[in-house]
Amino acid sequence: MAQQAYFEDVEVGQQLPPIKITPDKQQLVKFAAGSGDFNPLHFDEKFPMLKPMGLTENIVHGRFKYAQVGRAVFAFAGYKGRVKRFGVSYRGMDLLNREITVGGVVTAKREENGEHLVDLDVWTEDAEGKKTTPGTAVVALPKRGS
Amino acid sequence: MPDTETAFQITDEMRAQIGIESEPWTYEVTTTSVRMYARGIGSEDPIHYDVDFAKQQGFRSIVAPLGYIGTPVYLPGSNDPTFGFPRRASGPHLNIPFKGLLDGGTETEYFDVICAGDVLEETSHLADLKLREGARPMLFITNESVYKDKATGKVVAKQRLTSIHM
Amino acid sequence: MTHQVFFEDVHEGDEIPQLRKNCSTQQLVLWAAASGDFYQIHYDKDFAQATGLKGLIVHGALKNAFLAQLLHDWIGEGGQVRRFGCSYRGMDEPGQDILCRGVVTKTYTRDGKHYVDLDVWTERPDGKRTSPGTATVTLPGRG
Repeated sequence: MAQQAYFEDVEVGQQLPPIKITPDKQQLVKFAAGSGDFNPLHFDEKFPMLKPMGLTENIVHGRFKYAQVGRAVFAFAGYKGRVKRFGVSYRGMDLLNREITVGGVVTAKREENGEHLVDLDVWTEDAEGKKTTPGTAVVALPKRGS
Repeated sequence: MPDTETAFQITDEMRAQIGIESEPWTYEVTTTSVRMYARGIGSEDPIHYDVDFAKQQGFRSIVAPLGYIGTPVYLPGSNDPTFGFPRRASGPHLNIPFKGLLDGGTETEYFDVICAGDVLEETSHLADLKLREGARPMLFITNESVYKDKATGKVVAKQRLTSIHM
Repeated sequence: MTHQVFFEDVHEGDEIPQLRKNCSTQQLVLWAAASGDFYQIHYDKDFAQATGLKGLIVHGALKNAFLAQLLHDWIGEGGQVRRFGCSYRGMDEPGQDILCRGVVTKTYTRDGKHYVDLDVWTERPDGKRTSPGTATVTLPGRG
């Protein structure tokens, strides 16, 4: 876990440290176990639903990518920060064994009801640089000495 | 394209389903389930694994990774065998003429940190219906789940899931 | 399942009701989740073949669990499994029947308890016994 971020030190335009992950089938089977989503679309290459969807390979769970965005936001907030809200849309599919990069950038800082809030744009990006999971997040950060 | 699909419109009857609340369902957040979810996302942050470490950081127990709000209690015949979500008798009912289904998006709002040991009561309702017209119309259905801590009755999180039917 | 079998009705050589299984890949992934055994030979065909296997195989421990279910279903509420075990002598594939069977080998009463020893096994459609084992259960007596 990186050092705790404080509200004063965060600047608009600041990038989140990228997280890179290349999910293989075992990773997605573990995600099925953790999430309870056992859709064979994500691990069974013979699954009959692949063809009608125009797929020849298994695809990564949208919720897996959401969770990767969550990791980046959680790491940014630190243990003393609190994530107020984070959401993404699923705009493109990712295939197994391809690198996914999670990114984020600070878009605004504000105070609301005594909380020090940071707005972020967040996303996952595929190997070609396409943002397949764009979204936003709001994080409350501590102030120094508080 | 069959007429039923090209002529599809959101009816008042469908709109009337918005806000109807489902019966509650229990979701459990356990040390084992938090660790499995953390392994599932490839995180090695000890805050999701080590109870003593998490307590030293001021949390009740290990912290659920963002996006994980517990696992619905599974009762054979009552839950979907693939996705695990409860199939409830009450709540909104929509007749959707489309066969295609895509996951559109996920959004979570937090009012508290979710930790192992939490037992949550979830209710869901239809929050939004949107139709994108065109050669291939797309129906966006947004369901919102509200999670309350069973011990305190406090709302701890809300999650909105959008599915795209086409 | 609520029908209770009694010690007096069980004889050496009796076969207990069979249990038929047929695992989808999804079932194997559910077992991985339940057991924590995420070895890829059970759901990743390319991985399985790279290790020299013909294709995906069913977890041995899952067949062991099926034999436990076979016994559980037979003994009813009044019975108890005292011991059971099997060895893994052959492979089963997903999508292929796995027949779980058991035959009574001995019945005896000791210290007021009614014991039944059994041979148990899983069987492939070609007749090969892939997980042979033994079990001891206790059953209630009539009256």
